[in-house]
Amino acid sequence: MSADLALSIRNLALSFKSWSGTSQVLHGIDLEIKRGERVALVGESGSGKSVTARIILGTLHELKSARISGEVWVAGREMSSLSQSERQALRGTDISMIFQDPTTALNPVYTIRQQFHEVLMRGDPKISLSTAEQRSADILREVSITDTERVLESYPFQLSGGMNQRVMIGMALINEPQLLLADEPGTALDVTVQAQTLRLMRDLVRQHGTSVLFISHNLGVVREFADRIYVIYKGRIVETGPAASIFDDPRHAYTKALLAAIPRLTGGGIPEIQEDSEAFFDPMVTHEDVSA
Amino acid sequence: MNSILSVLARRLATTTLVLFGVSVLIFLIARIIPGDPARIALGPRATPEQVERMRETLHLNEPLVTQYFYFLSDLLRGDLGISLYTNRPVMTDIAQFLPATLELVLLAGIFMVAIGLPLGALAARHRGGWPDNIIRVLTLMTVSAPSFVWAVILVLLFSYYLPLFPIAGRIHETIMIPPVTGFMLIDTILAGSWDGFWSALHHLILPAFALSLSGIGQAARLTRSNMVEVYDQPYIEMAQSYGFPEDRIARKYAFKPSLIPSLTIIGLDFAALLGNAFLVETIFAWPGISRYGVGVILQKDLNAIVGTVMIISATFLIANIIVDLLVAYINPRIRYAERSK
Ligand SMILES: Nc1ncnc2c1ncn2[C@@H]1O[C@H](COP(=O)(O)OP(=O)(O)OP(=O)(O)O)[C@@H](O)[C@H]1O
Ligand SMILES: [Mg+2]
Repeated sequence: MSADLALSIRNLALSFKSWSGTSQVLHGIDLEIKRGERVALVGESGSGKSVTARIILGTLHELKSARISGEVWVAGREMSSLSQSERQALRGTDISMIFQDPTTALNPVYTIRQQFHEVLMRGDPKISLSTAEQRSADILREVSITDTERVLESYPFQLSGGMNQRVMIGMALINEPQLLLADEPGTALDVTVQAQTLRLMRDLVRQHGTSVLFISHNLGVVREFADRIYVIYKGRIVETGPAASIFDDPRHAYTKALLAAIPRLTGGGIPEIQEDSEAFFDPMVTHEDVSA
Repeated sequence: MNSILSVLARRLATTTLVLFGVSVLIFLIARIIPGDPARIALGPRATPEQVERMRETLHLNEPLVTQYFYFLSDLLRGDLGISLYTNRPVMTDIAQFLPATLELVLLAGIFMVAIGLPLGALAARHRGGWPDNIIRVLTLMTVSAPSFVWAVILVLLFSYYLPLFPIAGRIHETIMIPPVTGFMLIDTILAGSWDGFWSALHHLILPAFALSLSGIGQAARLTRSNMVEVYDQPYIEMAQSYGFPEDRIARKYAFKPSLIPSLTIIGLDFAALLGNAFLVETIFAWPGISRYGVGVILQKDLNAIVGTVMIISATFLIANIIVDLLVAYINPRIRYAERSK
């Protein structure tokens, strides 16, 4: 894997084994993220976005029923060649993740301060309380929270969804990871708050130079955020290219259907593409990256 | 902390109300039970004049409400009358027998929490794995037989076949300890007798363990199921995404939230130990309040029944208060709801 890549996925396949047999979920995916690049993975429900994120994170490897093949390079290391504890060591330090619903993703019985402290200890196990306090307050200011003292001593249930979302973004970035995974961030929030926090997140990762894999079922949400887009359909990448050219010139039948679904999505709902078409299984389309 | 205190204040207020209600109820039941208390107190050979004089002293000829207030003011002064069973003030009997039971029940409660919760957490941490299966079988066994069955089995195994523990009593018969608090473990320390302390502890372990066994199983199963539910919560996946070690996730992230629904029920199980203590006390010849309580019921010893029921209700309510405080301590939502009141 070349040094300017934050993530490189080669021919990734995944199947789940169960009593009734094996079900193939990913059919050989290729995906790359350059350092500092923001990439979106877009597809409908069940297309395999979250499992891809969990493989990158190294948590799906722990599941006995999951059969993973192919290569996933993160921070110069190939995930399946690592031991469980080596994969674990990457999490929270080199890779971190933002979840869909900030309010249920934060632990209900600890204060934000305690949760920041735990996360900071992943980066520096001996961090002092005062340093932790200082750094938590700093990152909160970066996500535009001014009354840091109040937020730090709050429990998640005392804060609004948008506030929790900012806290979660701050937490994910506080150890300066190379790669940030965002799995449908803020879908649980109302649309304006979601848009606001996404803008904030975009500015922040740009400043920190963090590479991002942004997962969404909504092409509309991704438009402003991503440099490049991968469209996934039933475990296969069907189209990829710079965001602008995907929007200006969608070539794959499934991408066209997804784009056509956007106007119905202003409520943040899940796209309903009425019927599956044979054309959705057409070969992958790759847009030339003019900047490369 | 203020919020914990206000939980305490609120609970003390409601507890006082409940105790008042209990006193009314017991008083009424005691009066409704057929049989003239004066005649029961004097025995079958008393003359009608003696009975009439007794009715006068016991205020039995006054209206019910007046009688109740006599009863209540005696109660508040700690005067529960004389027990027919032992011919001593009921209060003296209770002071003698209650500590023995409390000692038993408290140690059983400690076993329940100190063994049951970690077992449940271990099972949940390895859900689906072999520790889970072993713990499931063990705890199913403990909950499927009542305490007295365990008491008999444990006595046979560990006092009779393998003489590791004494068969009965609270302390070795050659050790004399002056009663101060009635708690043998405390009195031996007050008397400066370490031999006495170890002997008392040695006598206490087997009955307490027998009493706690099904509680241990229940606590473990409850903890497991609540914690498995917590494991499905997004905040656990978030903790995993930060690479915290699984054991730390189990201890810090999954166990503590799972206590919120568990604690209340474990508190009730703990209070139920008081009721289960009777057969265990009988088997181990343990001079406790449960055995005394059944004795006085069989004797229709009214004063003693009233006193025992009041004291057991009070103990039950205090256990409930402690559980509520613990729940408030663990669950920030309750603390903050309290603060904003
Ligand atoms: N642990 C598992 N065992 C078996 N099948 C699984 C498991 N996890 C996911 N799957 C299957 O893999 C497929 C992809 O799931 P995934 O969660 O990645 O979808 P997604 O693209 O994230 O969809 P959504 O938008 O609904 O989140 C689904 O069909 C799902 O049923
Ligand atoms: Mg998903």
